[in-house]
Order: sequence, then C-alpha cells, then structure tokens
Amino acid sequence: MFGGSVNIPDYDDALQKAGGENNAFTSNDITNYYLTLPQQNIETGFWLESDRMLSLNFNEHSLDVQRNVVIEEFKERYLNQPYGDIWLKLLPLAYKVHPYSWPTIGKEISHIESATLDDVKDFFFSFYAPNNAILVVAGNINLEQTKAFCQKWFADIPTREVRKPSYGQEPKQTAARFQGIEADVPLHAIVKAYHMPARMENGYYEADLLSDMLGSGRSAILYQELVKKQRLFSELDCYISGDVDRGLFIIEGKLMKNITHEQANKEIEKTLQWALENIAEKELQKVKNKTETNIRFNEISVLNRAMKLAYCEMLGDIEIANKEVEHYLAVNLNTLKAAGTDMLKPENCSTLFYINKNAN
Amino acid sequence: MPINRISAPNVREIDKVQITPAVCSTIASGVEIYSVNDPNVEVLKIEFVFDAGARLQPAPYVASATNTLLVEGTTHYTSKELAEHLDFYGAYLQNRSGNDDATLTLFCLPKHLESCLPLVVDILSHASYSEEEIKTQKENAVQRLLVNESKTSYLARRSFFEAVFGNKNPYGAPVYQHDIKNISRETLVSFYEMHYRRKLKYIMASGSVGIGVIDKITDVLSTFGRHNQSIFEYAPPQERAQKIEIHKGGSVQSTIRIGRKLFNRNHPDFRKMQLLNLILGGYFGSRLMSNIREEKGLTYGIYSALESYLYDGVFYIETDINNELVDLGVSEIYKELERLRNIAVGEEELNTAKNYMLGSFLRSLDGVFEQASRQRILIDYGLSAEYYNEFIEIIKNTTSLSLQEMANKYLKHEDLYEVVAGK
Repeated sequence: MFGGSVNIPDYDDALQKAGGENNAFTSNDITNYYLTLPQQNIETGFWLESDRMLSLNFNEHSLDVQRNVVIEEFKERYLNQPYGDIWLKLLPLAYKVHPYSWPTIGKEISHIESATLDDVKDFFFSFYAPNNAILVVAGNINLEQTKAFCQKWFADIPTREVRKPSYGQEPKQTAARFQGIEADVPLHAIVKAYHMPARMENGYYEADLLSDMLGSGRSAILYQELVKKQRLFSELDCYISGDVDRGLFIIEGKLMKNITHEQANKEIEKTLQWALENIAEKELQKVKNKTETNIRFNEISVLNRAMKLAYCEMLGDIEIANKEVEHYLAVNLNTLKAAGTDMLKPENCSTLFYINKNAN
Repeated sequence: MPINRISAPNVREIDKVQITPAVCSTIASGVEIYSVNDPNVEVLKIEFVFDAGARLQPAPYVASATNTLLVEGTTHYTSKELAEHLDFYGAYLQNRSGNDDATLTLFCLPKHLESCLPLVVDILSHASYSEEEIKTQKENAVQRLLVNESKTSYLARRSFFEAVFGNKNPYGAPVYQHDIKNISRETLVSFYEMHYRRKLKYIMASGSVGIGVIDKITDVLSTFGRHNQSIFEYAPPQERAQKIEIHKGGSVQSTIRIGRKLFNRNHPDFRKMQLLNLILGGYFGSRLMSNIREEKGLTYGIYSALESYLYDGVFYIETDINNELVDLGVSEIYKELERLRNIAVGEEELNTAKNYMLGSFLRSLDGVFEQASRQRILIDYGLSAEYYNEFIEIIKNTTSLSLQEMANKYLKHEDLYEVVAGK
C-alpha cells in the first residue's frame, strides 16, 4: 500500500507535497489506514486513497524491499528487545483453534520471506474492496462537499467479491497451561493470559473495568498488594486485548530478585480470588470515574474520534461511540463479580514463565 | 465521464495560522498562571512547572527520584490514600522530570477540580519521602535500568549523550546502578525543599478553563513563591568528536547513533536547521528513509532529530540495522550528509519538505492541549507571540543555498560523534 498505486507512482511524495502525513496499523481484526492533511487540501486525500482502493502498483522490486523492511521490523520489535517475543509465544499457547494464534507479522521470519506477489494480490483483491471498507472524514469539513468528493472519487470503483474465511471459535479452555522460556533477559517475568468475552458479548465492559481495577494505576489492587506490600514484583500491569472475537485479559509483571515463578504465580491467583470476593461499591465507582475521564480526554483529538467512529461502524453499530460511557456506568457489582469469577479461573489461563538464564 | 486520476488536485499552501495566545494572570506571590481555554471540551489539564530538572541536581538521578517520589505519600496521606482519593474523582496526576524542568500535571473533569487541588497543595507542601517508599522506588528503578541496559538503543543513547556533553554536564550525565543505590533520603528531602516545597516556576491550565478555574487555583496557591532564578550557571562542554563501540552479546541488530552538540531554539539558525533536519531524516520522505529503508531495506526505520534544551541543544541520527550491514549503514549515512554539504537541495524536494513541515505544524495544533504545549515553548524560551508566524515565514523563504550553507557549517564529518551498540 506504500509502494505506489495504479495511477500514482509515489503515494507519500504526493501526500507530503500537500502538507499531509499518513500511517497504518494492522490488528487481529482490522487494518486501519489514516492520513491527515490541511483542510484546504482534503481532495488530495480522496485522490490518493481512491486510487489505492482501485489497484496497486504490484511489482517484485517493491515487494523485495518491503519484505526486508518487515524482516528488520520483526528483529527490532520481537527479537532485539528483552521480552520482545512474548506475543510470539503467548498467542499459540492461548489459542489452539482460532486464528488469533497468529501474530499479525507472522510467527517467524520465514513467513515474511516466503510471501509472494501472488499472495499479496490475492489478499488485496479479496479484502481491500469498497464494500469491505469504512471511510471516516473528520475535522473542519463541509458535509455536502465531502459527500461530493466521495461520489467523485469512489463511486466508479466496482465492488469486489469479499472472501469470508471460515474458522472455528476457540473452545472453552479447561486446564491451566504453562510454558517456561529460558532467555537472555535481565529479570524473571510472568505473563498470564485469560480468555475474555468478545467485544459485543456480555461481560466485555466488566472485564475492561476489572483490568483497570486490578492493575492500572497506583491504587490498583494487584499493584498495591504485590508490588508495594509484598514486594514480589517491581512492576505489574493488567490490560485487555479488546478483540472482536474472544480476546485476552493479560497480567504481566517482572519479578524481584530471589522470588520464584511459582510463588509469584500463586500470589497473583490468591490476590485475584481475594479481589473478587472483596471488591466494594466504592472501588467500582472509582474505576468508572477514571474510565469516564479517560474517554473524555481521548475525545479531544480529531484523529482519535475518527478512528473510534470507524471501529464502531465496523462492529456494526456506530452508536457505540456515543454510548460507551453509558455502557461502563451500567456495570454493577454483581455483573462485575460474575464476569470476573467466570474469567479469572486458573483453568482459563495460559501462563508464561520467562526465566532469566543468567540468574544464579 | 471518467475522472482524471493521473494528475493531482490543486494544492494550496499554508499561510498564517491562528494561534490563540495564552492568557496570563499573576497570583499574589508573583507566580504566573497561563491558560489556554477551549469551552467546547469538558476536561482540564493543569501543569505545575518547577525549576527542578536534572540541570539543578547535586548528583545523578536526584532530580528524577525526587520527582517520582513526590506522589508517594505526604505527612497526611499514604501513597495509596493519595492515589485512591484522586482515582475516586477520576483524576490523574502525572509527574515528569526532564533535563531542564519538572512538572506535576493534574488531569480531571472541571467538576472535580475543587476536590483535587487540596491534594496537590498537600503534595507540594508536605511530601514525606518515607524510607520505605524510597527503598521500593530505588529497587524498582534498578530493575527498570537492568531491562533498559539490555536494549542496544538505550546503550547507544546513554553513551552518545555522555560522550557529547561529558558526564558532569546536566545534559550528558548518565545514570548507572550505583547512582540509584547511592541516593539518600537527606538528598531527596533537600532537593524537594529547595525546588518544590511551596515554590513554582509557573502554571499552565488548559482545556475547559472558565474564570472560576483560575480563581480556585489562585486561592489555594496564594502563599506559594517563585523559584530563585539565579542559582544555575551553564558551562558548555568542550567538543571532541569520537567513535564508540559497545559490544552487546546476543543482539541481532545494532543501534547506530551519529550526531553532535548544536544549539537551542533561541539560536538564529535553529529554524533553518529544523528544515534541513527534516530533509535529511525528519519524515517518511526524507533522504535517510528513502535511501536506507525504502531503497536498500536495511532497517525498519531511520530518523534524525534536533533537540532543544534551555541552555543547549543536540542533533543526531538514529537507526537499528542488521548486524552484518552496519558498515554499509554507517557509510550511507555519511554519504547522505556529504551530499547535503556538496549539492544544493533541488527545488521540488525543497517545496515538498516545506509543505510537509507546515502541514505537520498545523497537525501539532490538534486540540487544546497541543495548543497549550506550543504556548509552553514560548514561555520556556522567552519567545514572542509572533514566533510561530515568523517560523512559517522563515520556512517559506529558506533557499536551498542557505540550507547547503547550514550543512557545511553544522554537519561537518569531523564534528560528528559516532556510537554503535550491538554486534
């Protein structure tokens, strides 16, 4: 997508001439291409994006270079960082059936090396179709003019047959999974991943609030108990992957010297148990307030709002963007505990023990 | 009728920008409160700024540790109680310390401001620096350092700054394990007393800043004073370009960092250097990116940067490259620098860079908080309200000849420090 489109040899150059900038990311569920330009040059954006929707300048040289670039990305992000390969190890441990077991970049460098131009074309024409895309235009714009630009630049691009790959949902996990990894890392570490509700399933907002309550910020329960009080960890975080299908609720921490993985793991599980039994109304209120503030702060940036609208529309209901705060406020202590109890069972968890091979 | 997809739609240049200046008021003790108001948002960000950066510390890591521990308890509240109170109002406190200044920032909804301010005042009057919290913080900092020290990018960065500025200079001073371990409660308390306790450099309030907001802040801070301005004198380092290699076993890539000491944004050549830097390595279409990533595929990314500090500045290029191809990467970097010195940048490339730079300046004004941070730059460097419109004019009028002159003046091969960490 960055190697030029059918009528425009250099996407970036054309965009930069108009004072614009762009980037993209791929997650488990979507690929998001975004660009921002000065409002007087917005038509340049329509021209560029519609042309690469039409077709790309597929060529071997461009693919060769991008393959090398992505191989270096793989090394920089996953191999040349301590703990960089966590996701490469964790996903296949947690997912046995669902394609979420694949990191988006591939499991190993050979997967990038063996991508062919035909693979790329096939993927492009199967998924990069106007009838499989959502366009959001946000900022200092005029609605009528924006509609006219959409019509002018996109209307004649034919719809394509979009492939709907079929894959199985991940079956319920029934036994705890563990994997030890000996590596050249400076500290022992633990990563725990629990299967959590899908984005549109009941319990999603509960899981998100729980992750904040347990592990985000200095008053969080796991942080207070295991970092500050018991001094088992020097850092500990808790967050959700938030995928469209059933995602992961992650707890990850770095161990203090002389603490064993078994001991640390046992104390995490004990603290989770304790939290589920003892969470009170005040804590729930607290985390709801924090979430409301977070959402309001995120909405300041036009780019963030545009991305959120696109995501909610992709989920099938753009109104979610407006109702997010309400959904979080509707969580009550009963639904929270029920969702937590169901999710945070040892048998629903995949655990990585990162072992510092230089210790002792 | 089919549309013409070959030729680009007309592009219009960016002229003046409308930037709302910060409004300034002064509290009784002389401390200035600046505000940037946007009535359309429902949030507030209040930055309390202190003359408490690393440049003022008696030993490495003191400024940073004092700042980190600010929020870890007062004589009235434990660390946990402070965090819980703020969380209850959905508020956040963020503490940061840099080379020049330190900040404590409160993020909250306007309706909770009154409940949160007394906690900030308590932190800035009665921080406790308990031995237990200090111990915890030191242990955690050592752990974080261990993780950082296993990254080639961290090793290259630390060594570069130490080489360029020297280990006695506030912009060079590296942090090693023993610096963290040597910190004592006494040092922290005395740094707090001198640089934080009931003192401020200034305040920046942004977001939904109604009149009541400034009054509320003024009320609780009326007895806070200004920092004593005369305690710092900067001694610039001697420049001695050198090559450094750091071996790190097990790495699959090496980090390359090449650069030199330069100057800060008060220097008359700063804005031209910003444009030259952009062309070299400041955006996706830059020469380094086009050559080393897009043409040769040696790296996932390469960039160059200018950093401005209150008393000095630095220029550098950084990239992570496949171990076997480090030599090629380094020589290509020098080739690109040489090209800037020997051949004037072409008209088309120059125009693209100018348009991109101005567009990127517009993007940096997205939202009231971004606008406030642009205003903070004016305050910190004592620049006039016209600075940004001047910037636009200077960028538009810079010629390729003057860029070549800049390259010959500031990017000479013999002035550059080179660090390679990895293989």
